[in-house]
Amino acid sequence: MRPLTLTRLLLRCTMLLGVLFVVVVIALKLGAVQVSLYGLGRDLVRVLLGHSSGISTDYGMIVMDIRLPRILLGIVVGASLSVAGASFQALLRNPLADPYVLGVSSGAAVGAILALIAENDLALSPEMAGVITPLGAFLGAAITIAAVYLLGLRDGQIDSSTLLLGGIITASFLSAVIIFLMSTLGGSNLRGTVFWLMGDLSTPQPRSLLYLLSFGFLVAAGAIYTTAADLNLLLAGEKEAMHLGVDVPRVRIVVYLAASILTGLAVSVSGTIGYVGLLVPHLMRLIFGSDHRMLLPASAIGGAIVLVIADTLARTVAAPSDLSVGAVTALVGAPFFIYLLRRRNA
Amino acid sequence: MSSPHRTPMPSAEQPRTNSNIRLSVEQVSYAYTPHTSQAPLFTLEALSFQAKPGEIVAILGPNACGKSTLLKLISGALEPLSGRIFLNGFVTHTLPTKTRAQRIAMVQQESALLFPSRAWEFVLQGRHPYGGGVRFETEEDVTIATNALTQVGANHLSNRWMDKISGGEKQRIILARALAQQPLLLLLDEPTLHLDIGAQVDLLDSLRRLATTNRYTVVVVTHELNLAGEYADQVVLLQKGKCLRVGPPASVFQRELLEQVFQAPLSVEMTSSGRPRVTLFSNK
Amino acid sequence: MPRIASILKVPAVGVALGFAFLSTAQSSAQATAPSAATQPATHEVVDEMGRSVRVPVSPSRVVSLAPSLTETVYALGLQGHLVGDTEYCDYPPEARKKPKVGGAINPNLEEIVALHPDLVLVTKSLNRLETVRALDVLGIPSYATDPHTVEEIISSTQKLADLLGAPVAGKTLSVELQNRLATLETRLAGIPPTRVLFIVWTEPLMSVGKDTFIADALRKAGAVSIVDSTRDWPQMNLEEVVRLQPDCLVFASSHSEAAARDFAALADRPGWRLLEAVHNHHYAVISDAVNRPAPRIVSAIEELAHQLHPAVFQETGAPGKDASPVREPTLPPAKPAAAWLRAPASTMATEFSCAL
Repeated sequence: MRPLTLTRLLLRCTMLLGVLFVVVVIALKLGAVQVSLYGLGRDLVRVLLGHSSGISTDYGMIVMDIRLPRILLGIVVGASLSVAGASFQALLRNPLADPYVLGVSSGAAVGAILALIAENDLALSPEMAGVITPLGAFLGAAITIAAVYLLGLRDGQIDSSTLLLGGIITASFLSAVIIFLMSTLGGSNLRGTVFWLMGDLSTPQPRSLLYLLSFGFLVAAGAIYTTAADLNLLLAGEKEAMHLGVDVPRVRIVVYLAASILTGLAVSVSGTIGYVGLLVPHLMRLIFGSDHRMLLPASAIGGAIVLVIADTLARTVAAPSDLSVGAVTALVGAPFFIYLLRRRNA
Repeated sequence: MSSPHRTPMPSAEQPRTNSNIRLSVEQVSYAYTPHTSQAPLFTLEALSFQAKPGEIVAILGPNACGKSTLLKLISGALEPLSGRIFLNGFVTHTLPTKTRAQRIAMVQQESALLFPSRAWEFVLQGRHPYGGGVRFETEEDVTIATNALTQVGANHLSNRWMDKISGGEKQRIILARALAQQPLLLLLDEPTLHLDIGAQVDLLDSLRRLATTNRYTVVVVTHELNLAGEYADQVVLLQKGKCLRVGPPASVFQRELLEQVFQAPLSVEMTSSGRPRVTLFSNK
Repeated sequence: MPRIASILKVPAVGVALGFAFLSTAQSSAQATAPSAATQPATHEVVDEMGRSVRVPVSPSRVVSLAPSLTETVYALGLQGHLVGDTEYCDYPPEARKKPKVGGAINPNLEEIVALHPDLVLVTKSLNRLETVRALDVLGIPSYATDPHTVEEIISSTQKLADLLGAPVAGKTLSVELQNRLATLETRLAGIPPTRVLFIVWTEPLMSVGKDTFIADALRKAGAVSIVDSTRDWPQMNLEEVVRLQPDCLVFASSHSEAAARDFAALADRPGWRLLEAVHNHHYAVISDAVNRPAPRIVSAIEELAHQLHPAVFQETGAPGKDASPVREPTLPPAKPAAAWLRAPASTMATEFSCAL
């Protein structure tokens, strides 16, 4: 009998963080433009020590202003999607659940499309223009979260199966709305929408937005983590969990809201990147087991690793073209999913 | 076999104790309203009984007589329409979920885990009511869980996967988890339903032994006449939501009464140990 | 105690992230500082989207993110300033040899930055707003064009020439283009315009809206699009087209053989035979230059005018001079088996299928 201890948890997380660090370094090195590892290391040290002016502007701008923000965005988005995916899988007691199953991403997409349309018609200041699409997306997500919550109520409490049904119906309805909107859009609006829907990390975001994103991740993921032990019990069934002391209604609300907010934040800045939220939790379960006290942080770091790798592939495999990261995750994710399915049935 | 170490109860609560009565069901009834415009259906009419530490109470009756509802009321999952249920002086329904789980353990027939776990992980879940927030199991938790497994004779199964063991073995692990909660009250809903006869006897023997050793009060819902007759200290006989009789098996197992409740011809004999045995006849 | 420690782990990651962000914020400010010291003279201009941008007075390293812009730069003879363009920039053929920065919709920012441009050219109808914003964040000035009529294409060309520090070349080219259009207008004066359907795509059937530059080009060629839609690429209902009965179908294609095949396939489809134009083989094929808002569009306009109204041009054997050296190839004669299908006329053929 060897239950999970704090020491073992921290050790494994440190190991995973180590892998993440290596992946980040490799990602910084790779790209359409050649960067030497030695020069990179030297410059990173300079930056950390505050001697930024020593960076050679040749690739300094490329690495610091293009690649590093993109990688950091990938880390936060990957972590958010994976934690949300693991949480929904536990909340809905469904291994096929992913962050988008309750319609949050479709709502965000509608918000983003409307913002794209409005952007063209309104004359906006540069600062506003930078945030209107993510803002519109997050607003769409928030409204959907509230609507699905109301749909999922039964006798005044969220019921998991009602929630799932309500979410799927909402997602489906919103998808139809998206298709309708897209069919009425003109050329450049349409292109922007298609890109957004495929999932894209290549657009540099305003700093304030990135800070907000990270802060939101920490708060929401932290909230979910306080219910980690409860989630373990919830997997056995809500009645059993209640008899073992789990405050099921409270856990449901906390996990639903926090996981939906994580999804909404991630999708607002990067569009709908698929498969990460679904598969990273399964992968981490294969390695570390289903104990959520380990699974949640492992999914966060694992999601960051996977998305950074996918994004690096997206921007190097067909250079100078920038593939959509959503396409890469789908191409790699689908076969892996099939493998997982077969493994379960074996 | 060592007794589990008992964690002291918080002193802030003011129990209403009465000698050595542990469980007291007082004039409890329940009605279920399917729709606000319809009249409520009475699943359970007012009934009362009491149980002491070390006692096994059998709630006996045919299908759909309200037995499961009564068990849910005792477990605190449902609020009675009238009356109250006291456990060592505390009203079960008003206890916070965590505290309630420290005192009342529900033993399921089955446990459908979404992602399979090992037996020891499963048993450790029983320690959940004793932690808060982000919590990791302590040495003490491990000791208690190990003891629980020992008490049900399932130590050898400790490392096995839950989805790879037989029904009877699984039942033991589920029982071990309940024991790990260190409860005052053990509740079981038709535990023998999926078990073969040998396993049934095993389980009831264990319950008898545990009730005596660990001073549990055990409440078992069943429709198995002979198991109730053989193992229970008290029987609560229900029919269509009404409690017809409460008492030791010898006094409840009257032929006419049982025939009326179970709608089948039978005969009742007393064995040498003072326990009734029921024999069923065919309807011809 | 263990509880606190486990929760601390989460903010620790956040702090690390925060450091990374802060350091990038610092470095970005520093990285642009050195270039400021050696910056050449700049001035503020307003681009065609109403943005006020600060650009060098004579840019020497220009990246074009649209094929039409690349063509325009070459037409102005300023290709020496062009240091990079997109993968789709294929005209003139020399443009293919320029360093590529990816697609128009998703150009690779790293490649653009690696070329050290002092100006990037974009166009609203093709490039994404996100790309423009990304360039803003990186401190690279970008200029956007947005022509909706043929006149605006010509004035765009002039403005680009001014922007690139060669106003004389711009004046010369725009005067030439204006003259050719004026000549055309004179010849076509008094002639009723042919009612046409410009076909962008057949499945689904898509044409162009009345506010597009293509619709304007059709007007200049003595035609009028039967499509009355404010959307840019309206999807057409075949029944509606049959009701309107255009006199001629217009295709834009870089290969007339492919166009002939397309038309044959189209004629075979149910419902299409109801169109008089299909029944009588009244269709015209012009160069795909009509799709790009660049100087070459004037040649396409002239080509179409010749096909639609040959009578007006009888006295002159050849169409007006055009700036582009590439001509639409003369087609092989129709095969006997498909005698009913006439090969689309080249400008030298004697029979024009849309002549009425």
